[in-house]
Amino acid sequence: MTNVTFDNILINFGFGTKAEKKEILKSNSGKEIYMDLTCYDPAEFYADHPNLKGSFAALFCDEEKKIEVHLNAKSDAFINKLIELGFKPVETTIISCGFIFPRTIVQIINEAHFALEEQVASRKDIDRAMKFGVNYPKGPFEWALGRELYVVTLLNELLQKTKDARYLPSKLILAGRKP
Amino acid sequence: MNLQRIVIIGAGTMGSGIAQWFAQQMCSVELVDNSEEQLKKALTGIHSSWDKLVEKQKLTSAQVDQMKKLFEIKTLDQVSKDSDLVIEAIIENLEIKKDLFKKLDTYFSPHTIIASNTSSFPISEMAQAVSPERKPRFIGLHFFNPATIMKLVEVIKGEETDSKLCEDLYQWFDSKDKKPALSKDSPGFIVNRVARNFYGEPLRIVETDDEIKMKEVDRILKEVGGFKMGPFELMDLIGIDINYSVTCSVWEAYNKEPRFAPHALQKQMVEEKRFGRKNKRGFYKYD
Repeated sequence: MTNVTFDNILINFGFGTKAEKKEILKSNSGKEIYMDLTCYDPAEFYADHPNLKGSFAALFCDEEKKIEVHLNAKSDAFINKLIELGFKPVETTIISCGFIFPRTIVQIINEAHFALEEQVASRKDIDRAMKFGVNYPKGPFEWALGRELYVVTLLNELLQKTKDARYLPSKLILAGRKP
Repeated sequence: MNLQRIVIIGAGTMGSGIAQWFAQQMCSVELVDNSEEQLKKALTGIHSSWDKLVEKQKLTSAQVDQMKKLFEIKTLDQVSKDSDLVIEAIIENLEIKKDLFKKLDTYFSPHTIIASNTSSFPISEMAQAVSPERKPRFIGLHFFNPATIMKLVEVIKGEETDSKLCEDLYQWFDSKDKKPALSKDSPGFIVNRVARNFYGEPLRIVETDDEIKMKEVDRILKEVGGFKMGPFELMDLIGIDINYSVTCSVWEAYNKEPRFAPHALQKQMVEEKRFGRKNKRGFYKYD
């Protein structure tokens, strides 16, 4: 994780466990905090930490650096800082575990791994099918590359929150997870 | 592999599109349908599309003249028996398809490849309608709409399909500006399986019939995810009834696996006859 601090604001970037994220919020209680919560439910964090003023999902952003941002209160300083750091923030008012794009994409990635596990097609052909059959900007394996840990963490979080077996991770994505 | 003489059975949207694409590869194409009216409609549509491509300078007049010469509409008993490839693109009804394959098997020469453009039925089950000699040359070739534009062709290997035939067809399509993907004969093949959650997960994010939320989910998935259309506008375009039916069919085929479970909102929309753009009422209103 990386912290960027300016004025009385702290922006926490990167992946961390839930406990690590909460520890940052506790130990910086005097600051306004904005945090990458791609793999978690922002509502759970907002409830216990009034100093958390907004959250965002940057772990699945690509070279365009567009990220989903949820603000509890309008903050030009935070948004301007994100832009200064090269991000293109896209605001949403919907609070959802895993936000909107990461939550949708991890399910597509997980299904692609199940299909690979069952030898329905090769990685290359699954990526190719999704790009050229339904115009996805990237194939599921291209999206997943290097992000297996985030995929598994978000799926487990959704599984724990909803108790719905639809979020059980495939064996292959679990095997690709890196500590 | 050399595919020169192609027969397409079914002159609906998919059949016409597939036939047009093959003619554009300078293959000789015979388009077949029970309805003469449908055949004439398809022919007019294809000719008009080619004329527009000449106007836009995407094709030359000489190329289009050649394609028009290569393209014919026929009834089944008029088509060449020694065609290289026959593709069925008729109504999605297993029994009707099986009856057709039985006829095609006896009609065409032993070297003819018989293919189905089905999106929902197992290739191996349809292959039961043909003789043991034909089974190695029975395959799934699933095109995407519009077939002249969408590059993917899912090449589906049935249990008894010859592996070499799959490889050869893969190479042939690859050499013709298509993007083939080889798939096992499993429910939904690749796309209709992996794409299910592009609809299922956003439905679970919005949970209720809330147009403002749907609009926001569509916006985020387009702006942040780079998708050309959001899931709700896409379901409205495809037809909520059709999308729901595909979801149910994949879910049933995978023994009600929770990952494919339809959402209550889909069922509600279908019950309320809110099918999408086609009847101006879907997740959005189109007045």
